[in-house]
Amino acid sequence: MTTQRRDGNVECSSPIEADVLMDYWLAALSAAAEEAVEVHLLACDECGDRLREAIALAEGLRELARSGSLQVVVSDQFVEHAAETGLRVREYAPPRGDSVMCTVAPDDDLLVARLAADLSSASRVDLSWCDPRGVEQSRMADIPIRADAGGVICQQSITWAKASPTASMVARLVAVDEQGDESLLGEYTFHHTRTIPGPPGWELP
Amino acid sequence: MHVGLGDADLAPRIAGGDRDAEAELCRRMEPRIRLYGLRHLRSASGADDLVQQVLMKVLEALRSARLREPDKLAQFVLGTCRMTVLDLRRSSRRQEELLATFGGDLVPDPAPAPRLDDRQLARCVQTLKERERSVVVMTFYDEHTAGETARFLGISEANVRVIRHRALQQLRSCMGASA
Repeated sequence: MTTQRRDGNVECSSPIEADVLMDYWLAALSAAAEEAVEVHLLACDECGDRLREAIALAEGLRELARSGSLQVVVSDQFVEHAAETGLRVREYAPPRGDSVMCTVAPDDDLLVARLAADLSSASRVDLSWCDPRGVEQSRMADIPIRADAGGVICQQSITWAKASPTASMVARLVAVDEQGDESLLGEYTFHHTRTIPGPPGWELP
Repeated sequence: MHVGLGDADLAPRIAGGDRDAEAELCRRMEPRIRLYGLRHLRSASGADDLVQQVLMKVLEALRSARLREPDKLAQFVLGTCRMTVLDLRRSSRRQEELLATFGGDLVPDPAPAPRLDDRQLARCVQTLKERERSVVVMTFYDEHTAGETARFLGISEANVRVIRHRALQQLRSCMGASA
């Protein structure tokens, strides 16, 4: 497995794959695989260094996930758990085809939009973010959905929302078929009012 | 003095009273045991405690020549780590006694952990496909199991692992890691 170098360190002849090291850190290996990894790590500094890199990546991703700064589709359980662990979660759930007035406060940690829609017949769903004229500004393609979920929960970047000027945005859930044709599943308008003092991070066109 | 020797070569020397061999074994094993502690205790201070206690137990065993197969030193240390983690979880009182007796003498300052460029990582995560980003966020936010994520996505745990592995490979590539 290892050979000793003159400086006392070892060169690994059978390095553990990065995915296996991350699974080890996530406690996602079988007991036998975990034991094999641990015996190796107690004799191999090279793989230990690579495990430290995996830990650094895991910790960076954990901090990023907890920062609320990512735009990402999440589960109901995720939102509930975030609130249980002390994060301040601001949620908006405009009715399908309707609008909601919304804002964020300085001490909010997560911003979540609950978009109710019938997803039972959709195989692929995109979430399109448009300006009030209907011009698409960004698109989240092929978002993860569950047919029986009755909607989508999208975490919006709290960093973006705190810096945003007063503005309106339209979220459109669209089903996309194999030919690329789209059908509207639901449209939801968010009238964001800036309540945090200070100049906005940017001006909308 | 002993840096050119393999781990197994140190064990008989320690049994023969070689203090330099003991120091070399501690130098090598300290970061390895700390990684085990980080993984199982999820705490830097807990990992430090583990290092102290395991090194004490291992040195005691090696001094009295209780390790009959030096080639199995890693397995012996692993077994000691496991038992000690159980002890640490069971009895914080015993941990405090050992720390009071031996202090921090056996534990040098740990090597600095690698740091990532947070902004670059955020940019890399935004380039992931939506499904991959959801899996990554839910996995690492609070170390959700593949089963919990699989239930949300309506796919198998194996598929969640495939998506996670693919996303992490892309992130490592995006971050410029060699692994």
